[in-house]
Amino acid sequence: MNIAQQLVNGIIIGHAYALVAIGWTLLLGAARLVNFGHGQIYMVSAFVAWWIMSMTGAPYVLAVVVAIAAGAVIGAIMQRLFLRLTLSQDLVNLMIATLGFGQILEGAAGLTFGPKPETLTSPLQAVTFDFGPVWFTAQDALAVGATILVFLGLHVVLNRTRFGAAVRMVAEDPPLVALYGIPISRVYISIFAFEGAAVALAATLIAPRTPILTSMGFEQVVMTFVVVVLGGIGSVGGSYVAGLLLGLFTAIFSALISPAYTTAAVFALLIAFMVLRPGKLAAGGNFAR
Amino acid sequence: MNAHPTYFRILGTVALALLGFFLPRFLGGSSHVYDTLGTIASFSAMSYGLDIILSDLGEISLAHTAFFATGAYASAILSVDYGQGAWVAMAGAVLAALALALVLGLITLRTREFAFSLVTYAAAVVCMNIAANWDFLGGSDGIVGIPPLALTIGPLSFAASQPPQFWPFAYGLLLLTLYVVHRFRRSRLGQAALMVHMNPRLASMCGVDGNRVRLLVFLVSAPISALAGWLYAFQRAYVGTDLFDTYFLVLMLTGVILAGRRLLLGPLLGTALLVGQKSFFSLGAYGDKLVLGAVLVGVLCFCPKGLASLWPRAPGRALRQM
Amino acid sequence: MSARLQLRDLRVAYDRNLAVTIDHLAVEPGTLAAVIGANGAGKSTLINAIANWSRAAPRLSGEILIDGEAVGGKSADHLARRGVVLVPEGRGVFMGLTVEENLRAGLFAARAGGRAYSLADIYTLFPRLRERRSNLGGSLSGGERQMLAIGRALRMAPRLLLLDEPSIGLAPRLVSLLLETIRALADGGLTVFLVEQNVRAAIAVADSLYLLERGRVVASGDVAAMKDDPRIIEAYLGARN
Ligand SMILES: Nc1ncnc2c1ncn2[C@@H]1O[C@H](COP(=O)(O)OP(=O)(O)OP(=O)(O)O)[C@@H](O)[C@H]1O
Ligand SMILES: [Mg+2]
Repeated sequence: MNIAQQLVNGIIIGHAYALVAIGWTLLLGAARLVNFGHGQIYMVSAFVAWWIMSMTGAPYVLAVVVAIAAGAVIGAIMQRLFLRLTLSQDLVNLMIATLGFGQILEGAAGLTFGPKPETLTSPLQAVTFDFGPVWFTAQDALAVGATILVFLGLHVVLNRTRFGAAVRMVAEDPPLVALYGIPISRVYISIFAFEGAAVALAATLIAPRTPILTSMGFEQVVMTFVVVVLGGIGSVGGSYVAGLLLGLFTAIFSALISPAYTTAAVFALLIAFMVLRPGKLAAGGNFAR
Repeated sequence: MNAHPTYFRILGTVALALLGFFLPRFLGGSSHVYDTLGTIASFSAMSYGLDIILSDLGEISLAHTAFFATGAYASAILSVDYGQGAWVAMAGAVLAALALALVLGLITLRTREFAFSLVTYAAAVVCMNIAANWDFLGGSDGIVGIPPLALTIGPLSFAASQPPQFWPFAYGLLLLTLYVVHRFRRSRLGQAALMVHMNPRLASMCGVDGNRVRLLVFLVSAPISALAGWLYAFQRAYVGTDLFDTYFLVLMLTGVILAGRRLLLGPLLGTALLVGQKSFFSLGAYGDKLVLGAVLVGVLCFCPKGLASLWPRAPGRALRQM
Repeated sequence: MSARLQLRDLRVAYDRNLAVTIDHLAVEPGTLAAVIGANGAGKSTLINAIANWSRAAPRLSGEILIDGEAVGGKSADHLARRGVVLVPEGRGVFMGLTVEENLRAGLFAARAGGRAYSLADIYTLFPRLRERRSNLGGSLSGGERQMLAIGRALRMAPRLLLLDEPSIGLAPRLVSLLLETIRALADGGLTVFLVEQNVRAAIAVADSLYLLERGRVVASGDVAAMKDDPRIIEAYLGARN
């Protein structure tokens, strides 16, 4: 077995996990929203990109841009729907509502795109780099690079800009935000749109690795859920680290022990973590850091 | 309360129960009608398991698909692999669910609100992953060839291979479930659960041990969903990892929330509406999914107390919540 | 010239419990009006209603006029941008933001009508804040936090500054220092509506006084006239014990 290659795979998968998770992390940190519709936004964005490419023959880059826009719109719609629940911080009902929202997306995508598996093709998928025992594709490199950029960018925006301050304010004390003259629903809509756009970016960069299906929402992001929680609620840096570690863990666990039980192992880890350190799930003091 | 109203209530309940039993006939008595109502009965039984967690304890368990599946898998394994009868399968379903609920209940004892939901969700994912990979549980193929439901009570024996024959079992389970939930709400445990939900500090001052109550309610709730799984396994003659599908979770949640929480017939009505739509006015698998999701989101966003709260004369006591 | 703030038939209710009933109240520009009253009298409910802000969503009816313009129904953030700036009771700053971020975070319309104090002005007013400018709000002492809350409000070009018990939990020396600062702001032309439990301190700085009991104004007028009102003396003693 090629340990070096497994490590490389782990790093790539880990960045993919982190990138898929970033929008959700922000959403959870700022709006306390556990978004079970996240996977379906991923799925829809991948299909939008595929559809653009196969219907219009547009290049991959354009498809990426359109998919990101579509993701942002879905996020914004979600915010409009959930505004009341978000403002009243009815966290539990919100969580169920996102489950329903995911079902809507899945149903709508099934009706629109059909049940067949499709392939989102990226020209970079065919470009491979070989370094002795390890290899990866240009698409992988792009995903890793984009993840790092997105995380750095988000970190800077959250900590260095007034808009970022507004997001942190919303996370800390939503009613108080109004007294600072800031319309809270605008902040929320930006956060939700970011969630949608970020997961769409992730989808377009990562989905070319495997065939896409309208029913894939759940499996594609189930690991994200772990990243988001293990990273510390809403912690941007934390979810990067958690994503990376999780990628390495899954790569090594599936190579050495059992690929089939990887998900179970990861979730068992998650349960252990949540049970042993429930305090970590309380309001995010380390949000945005 | 004097004897008269109670008397009438019992009579009314019995009349309603009888009416319910003959409902499939009033609706035409076709095999499709029987099948649909049987499904409504088993799915609403499944929802009642979640209902007492959601409405009485005030937490959202996302692990009830796992209890449902546990009941179904236990029944399938006992009847297919071990050739046992339906009674044994039933006992197995309940015991397996109790064991799982005990483990999960202990794990989630200290978690509240969305941490509780996240842990239960994670647990459901683990269970599904195990079911999909462990050959003992049929792996990704599931377990096929479950024999028709046959129960022997003393000298009588009933067998159900057709939907109309299946209906009495489904209806019986539904009535049993309703009875259990009704009794639960009147029991000391039910009252304690409500207290722990509404005012945990007051509850602990009154000497109610919140953690113990939570655990016990979990243990009451899991077998209810598991029994529904038991029935469903025989009804479908097949179990597989699709039992863990989000669809069931969303169905349960919507069923409970649609009519309104803490209404005895709420989950039944909610489930009946949803399954009825799927069965008689189906828009195809995707369309139905869309409808289900839209109903759930619609109720939560625009009428979070359920449709019954729109009813002008709705009894205040039953609707008061949170 | 019309009053800066006018209330007519204002009613504020939590569920079915009427918490505040004000038939008429007016505050002239450039003056400092103080509301005093016992715990639960409805002071916070009243001042929050003026800013159309609350953590509890009570029901409001009646008219609120700012410079003659009816603002009932305008959202709290809109009012804040237009110069109706509230410093709420208790937690009024963000713990997770630094002092300077808190001061910079406010959004306001340049033509809100009031004077927007610059950061330098605020640091001159509260030198302590300059020293702690890059500390997190959560690491400030109670007094520093109150200074920050007021500084933040001044940054937002207030036409009407609403202060809900700024002195709560402060040492007596700090209380008088803070209230003197507020008095100086009013002398500089700022209109201040102040809720204060410390009656002696309120009397020392206010132009006019309102005594609130069970949601109603039971006595009001110029401080000079109100000072010797037996009800005030009673309330004052009540507040003392
Ligand atoms: N969120 C709420 N829900 C219901 N009733 C409330 C709420 N907040 C305040 N009240 C009631 O309204 C009345 C006025 O309360 P308010 O907070 O305005 O008093 P206050 O004068 O500011 O008191 P304090 O000096 O203690 O701050 C009280 O009787 C209180 O019980
Ligand atoms: Mg007050």
